Amino acid sequence: MGLIDNLEKYAQHQNLSKDKRVMFDSFIKKGFPTTSDEEWKYTSLKKVVKSDYNLLLEHTEIENSVINKYSLGVEDKIVFVDGNLVYSPEIKGVHISGFSDFDCRNNDVISKLNSALAKSGFTIVVEKNTVVENPIEILFFNLTKNSFSQYRNRITVGENSEIKIIENIQDLSKSSTLVNHFTHVSCNKNTKVEYNKIQNNCKDSTLIDCMNIFQKQDSVCEVNTLIFGGDFTRNNLNFEQNGTNCESNMNGISLLDGNQFADNHTFVDHKTAHCRSNEMYKGIYLGKSKGVFNGKIMVRQDAQKIDAFQSNNNLLLSDNSTIDSKPQLEIYADDVKCSHGCTIGQLDNEALFYMRSRGVGISEAKAVLTYAFASEVIENLSIPELKNLSQRLLAHKLGVDLDFSL
Amino acid sequence: MLKIKNLKAGIEEVQILKGINLEVKAGEVHAIMGPNGSGKSTLSAVIAGKEDYEVEDGSVDFLGEDLMDLDPEERAHKGVFLSFQYPVEIPGISVSNFIKTSLAEKRKALGLDPLPAKDLLKMMREKMELLSIKKGYLSRNMNEGFSGGEKKRNEIFQMAMLEPKLSILDETDSGLDIDALRIVANGVNKLRTKDNATIVITHYQRLLEHIVPDFVHVLHEGRIIKSGGKELALELEKRGYDWITKN
Ligand SMILES: Nc1ncnc2c1ncn2[C@@H]1O[C@H](COP(=O)(O)OP(=O)(O)O)[C@@H](O)[C@H]1O
Ligand SMILES: [Mg+2]
Repeated sequence: MGLIDNLEKYAQHQNLSKDKRVMFDSFIKKGFPTTSDEEWKYTSLKKVVKSDYNLLLEHTEIENSVINKYSLGVEDKIVFVDGNLVYSPEIKGVHISGFSDFDCRNNDVISKLNSALAKSGFTIVVEKNTVVENPIEILFFNLTKNSFSQYRNRITVGENSEIKIIENIQDLSKSSTLVNHFTHVSCNKNTKVEYNKIQNNCKDSTLIDCMNIFQKQDSVCEVNTLIFGGDFTRNNLNFEQNGTNCESNMNGISLLDGNQFADNHTFVDHKTAHCRSNEMYKGIYLGKSKGVFNGKIMVRQDAQKIDAFQSNNNLLLSDNSTIDSKPQLEIYADDVKCSHGCTIGQLDNEALFYMRSRGVGISEAKAVLTYAFASEVIENLSIPELKNLSQRLLAHKLGVDLDFSL
Repeated sequence: MLKIKNLKAGIEEVQILKGINLEVKAGEVHAIMGPNGSGKSTLSAVIAGKEDYEVEDGSVDFLGEDLMDLDPEERAHKGVFLSFQYPVEIPGISVSNFIKTSLAEKRKALGLDPLPAKDLLKMMREKMELLSIKKGYLSRNMNEGFSGGEKKRNEIFQMAMLEPKLSILDETDSGLDIDALRIVANGVNKLRTKDNATIVITHYQRLLEHIVPDFVHVLHEGRIIKSGGKELALELEKRGYDWITKN
């Protein structure tokens, strides 16, 4: 069997429209990407493709106490259980509903698979001139064993509006699961959008995430990707700037141990002049974990006066962990400021001794220095609950009982 | 308090300390002077537990315990403190977070609960006042972008917070201007009690005018070649090291 067979069987029983059929067929024809595909060179889906997944999700109910256990504790929550939208808050100026279909231009097979078959997801429309005060947490729970779930989400933020979102995917099925998550964000003129992904799923979960962000003039959009859990994670994050004075910010933490794998693929498409992008990804690798970073910045011919900054810093805390990091700059305009840097290192022994000489034990000293390494990203998180959770997860994963919030 | 006997230590087959003998009692101040490269910082690092150095022979007894069996953090818990000649910059950790963690870990090792936030802040404020440290400094990253003098003052601030039994000040005076030197030296003097001891490593008589030593030792090529009272420092200032090292 395997995933392709599961999918073909499943698709036969779906009443796919002609367009979707075409899309699905083109997916079947190409199959999942392999490591001979440049974009998947270091990221093997072999194990995922070989597994059998359940595409028919159960209809389960979930107790509030379970929701609260996994929630960050913010007031406004959107909750999905096995693909069903079971709860959404009432917020003035914000319209929240379930799945509504939309096209996308993504040409990769996994996005096509999502386009063809996804039937779950959220739609958020923020009216013009609306500042949403409180962050919204979107929780996706899965209880179906060995499920393959696909979500297709859309956010449209009206002119002069602001919103902050936290995405939190949690598998409760105690089995190997796969999620194909696709999110489309439209940031209209003069909007401020912050999207946070807390990727702390259980250790048998696989996530393939794709996020497309379209920005109009004077918009600022920030995406924070915080990877602590999961077995295998691939994040595709694509920004497209379509107006002057746009700012695209993306920050990431990957803290992996055991056999965890995480790949961050980012792409910033500077199409218009007088825009900025800032990118800061920090990876911390323990055990036999493996990280991949691929950051592409494209500055098109008309996009003059661009300020693009990218950094990918990595800390290898074990001999068996690895990182493959690749910056890709394609610049066709002549008046741009573009910088990128990649570092791979270990903890500084002098600093370790310094801390130990002050009475801090070796594990705690390592944890403090690791936190120091990650702090630029964590301290930048604007939602206190999220910052706090990240600090706790970092301490927990490094096996220390330290409070980094001061 | 501290008894060093025939201490020989080095790095990668090269012997740097070639048989050091030194006894420091509670309440005393010892000065160690000596030309560059004589092994002063090596001696401090070996006492503090830096693992790069290999101890080949001899013993270091601290309050009845063999220090060489202990990890650096355990030595700190017992009351050893080293003010680094070159304090390390740690971007991403604030001074207050660093000190809070150090103090909490030391207290934990001693079986004490962490100080309540209020008491900790009060203590920090008192010690900052003692060393004329300005507000706003606590939220700066540990030693990052600090001037030489600020780094040294930060070392003494940590010493004041951790209240060690034995403090080794490795060239704390370098980088300090005259006013700062006076403030820091005053701070060190105020922290002195009959139960703690200080080893001051310096090149210059200048610091010893403020922190008056009971004993002065001259370290040369890994050995203490002369010891005396505070007048020895004056003599060294006048005559240099040659008159001793030549014999
Ligand atoms: N980590 C080290 N690696 C190699 N040589 C060292 C190291 N530390 C000290 N030394 C050598 O040991 C000698 C003593 O150095 P040090 O203790 O720093 O002297 P001082 O502090 O008296 O100036 C010098 O010759 C120095 O080069
Ligand atoms: Mg020295």
